Amino acid sequence: MARITRRGFAATAAVATGAAVTGFPYVVRAAEEAAILGLWDFTGAYADVGPLMDVGAQVALEQVDYRAGDVKLRYVTRDGETKAGAATRRAEEAIASEKVGYIIGPWSSGVGLAVSEVAKNNKVMHWFSGGTEDISGKRCHRYGFQWAANPWTAMDAVLYAFRQQNANARRLYLFVADYAFGWSLEKYVGNLAPKYGMEVIGADRHPLGQREFSSYILKAAAKNPDAVFMINFGLDAVSAARQLHSFGLIPKVPLIMSWSAGVEELIQLAPEIRSNVIVGTNYYYTADNPVSKAFVEAYRKKDKQGNPPGYAPAAAYSLAHMTIEAIKRAGTANVQKAIQSIEGAEVEGLVGTIKVQASNHQSIRPYFVLKTKTPKESQGPLDFGTIIHTSSTPQPKELNECADIGKL
Amino acid sequence: MTFLIVSQIINGVVTGMLYALMGVGLTLILGVLNIPNFAHGVLYAFGAYFMLAVTQLIGGFWLGVLIAPFGVVALGMLIEYFGVRQLYAAHHDYQLLFLFAVALILQEAIILIWGPVGTSILPPEHLAGAVNLGVTIYPKYRLAVMVITAAIVIALWLFLTRTNVGAIVRAGIENRGMVEVLGIDVQKVFLLTFGIGAWLAGIAGSLATPIMGLTPSMGFDILPITFVVVVIAGLGSVVGAILAGILIGLAQSLTTIWFPEAAQVVIYLLMGLTIILRPQGLFGKR
Repeated sequence: MARITRRGFAATAAVATGAAVTGFPYVVRAAEEAAILGLWDFTGAYADVGPLMDVGAQVALEQVDYRAGDVKLRYVTRDGETKAGAATRRAEEAIASEKVGYIIGPWSSGVGLAVSEVAKNNKVMHWFSGGTEDISGKRCHRYGFQWAANPWTAMDAVLYAFRQQNANARRLYLFVADYAFGWSLEKYVGNLAPKYGMEVIGADRHPLGQREFSSYILKAAAKNPDAVFMINFGLDAVSAARQLHSFGLIPKVPLIMSWSAGVEELIQLAPEIRSNVIVGTNYYYTADNPVSKAFVEAYRKKDKQGNPPGYAPAAAYSLAHMTIEAIKRAGTANVQKAIQSIEGAEVEGLVGTIKVQASNHQSIRPYFVLKTKTPKESQGPLDFGTIIHTSSTPQPKELNECADIGKL
Repeated sequence: MTFLIVSQIINGVVTGMLYALMGVGLTLILGVLNIPNFAHGVLYAFGAYFMLAVTQLIGGFWLGVLIAPFGVVALGMLIEYFGVRQLYAAHHDYQLLFLFAVALILQEAIILIWGPVGTSILPPEHLAGAVNLGVTIYPKYRLAVMVITAAIVIALWLFLTRTNVGAIVRAGIENRGMVEVLGIDVQKVFLLTFGIGAWLAGIAGSLATPIMGLTPSMGFDILPITFVVVVIAGLGSVVGAILAGILIGLAQSLTTIWFPEAAQVVIYLLMGLTIILRPQGLFGKR
């Protein structure tokens, strides 16, 4: 067998060095791959939105042909089951078996926080969109990012817009989903209402997954409020709105759906039910910017009913979009470099300009407030309302609980 | 406060009647066939979606309420004839797994046919809005549902107590072996009972549409409460199911006044207490 001579080794090393300095790195970089995990709820309480979120993420990836600059993107999905145990187990499995470096999702705040811990422990970048302020608050870390508006920003925007539309309204009655997300929003509504000349005259916390609201409505009606302010989400919000209408409370008094999925909730309500509603949402499909327009067009082609996207698919699209942007800016699949590249950056996204705060990884982005249309005003079955206000006012620094974002 | 308590009692009775309607169907099937029908919730959902289909294709709210439950009867009988019947001799685990699988498959079928996003049906024009009862305002439609439900329950009670077929069904609940010994085709009794149970789930689903709306998961939402009704009532007890339904409705409504966070937990607390203090249920014999 021929032995490697010193001269032969030197020649090989010289060729290798030359290749590395010139064209070869391009070949190496081109072969670099980043695996993104879409952790969606295909079963469980949010099984209805999981498939829509998957479609949203797919649109973002297809728009860039599964490439972020020179990095090839591989998209894998797992079912989070809307359960912290299942979602964290699946995330761990995907990190180990699929070499996942980036996680997007899931949908539930409680599950999202559990997945955030997995991301931190495994040094995986995690983009999440949800109502919990803890992702960019007391449980912040360098690997976790929040796309949704901060709850303070959202409640401030909704109360301001409601006041503009209802100058004489003073007394708010709250329906609050009884978990971390609901409590933090309730706290902010209580604090911010006086700023706009309003007061909270009563608040009932209801269990997550509540479908029968009649007893809560009777209590609210007995207090004669100027508006019912709902801090709940999905089917809870839809059920409550439907039953408020059957009791004749709305549209006589306005309803506020303060943190709504938008299209996915409004489409479930008959036009008569949603004729006097103020809707706060992280996304509405008439947002006037090129990214949103392209997304809406692509999404409607994929949706079986041709419906426009609501908050859920829009969030999934944006989580993927922000991840792609981070990898592209870093020019590598290296997770730490991708994180550094997006910290403090401004990105033109689905809702307009999104600034990622380096100090707590909270996205500073517009929150939308709609006024719904009456059946007479509506131009068609998908014409739910008009955007009357957007706000990007960040949460005051003293209220943010992210003491130290930590190290990579 | 007195007004609020009275209004919550009215509301509890009305809501409880809907639970009772579901509970009666489930307890009949459980009593006669000795099978906990995990597909009962999805039959309720099909009642609602068949109602939607009828109102969209033919039009007319009450026509939907009339026709939709019979679609559910057909579906229920198919499940019994081609599925459950093959498993009577098998271990309970197989029956449970089969019915759970049927429930999941049928829920997916709803998504495939009607899509994953829910929808609403408004009550008919003459029952829209609320009426002032003196102590509170209350939706006309909910009051109408209470009256209809009461009528259905009375009709069912008459059927079970005043007809020969009803007597056979009751005998099946008491002692299935004896019914077989008397030469009665027990398979037909099972099929009929499953059909009646399915009809009750179907009518509950169609009547509930303006109150609860329609979502593919609505069957799984109502199922736990239905089982609580049956456990509190006791196996096979129709009267017990009605009273248990009303008891649960009242407990939920009244809890909301003082401790709204616990409005859902309280029904499971009642179930737990029943199991500890009277394992056979309030009206059960076995």
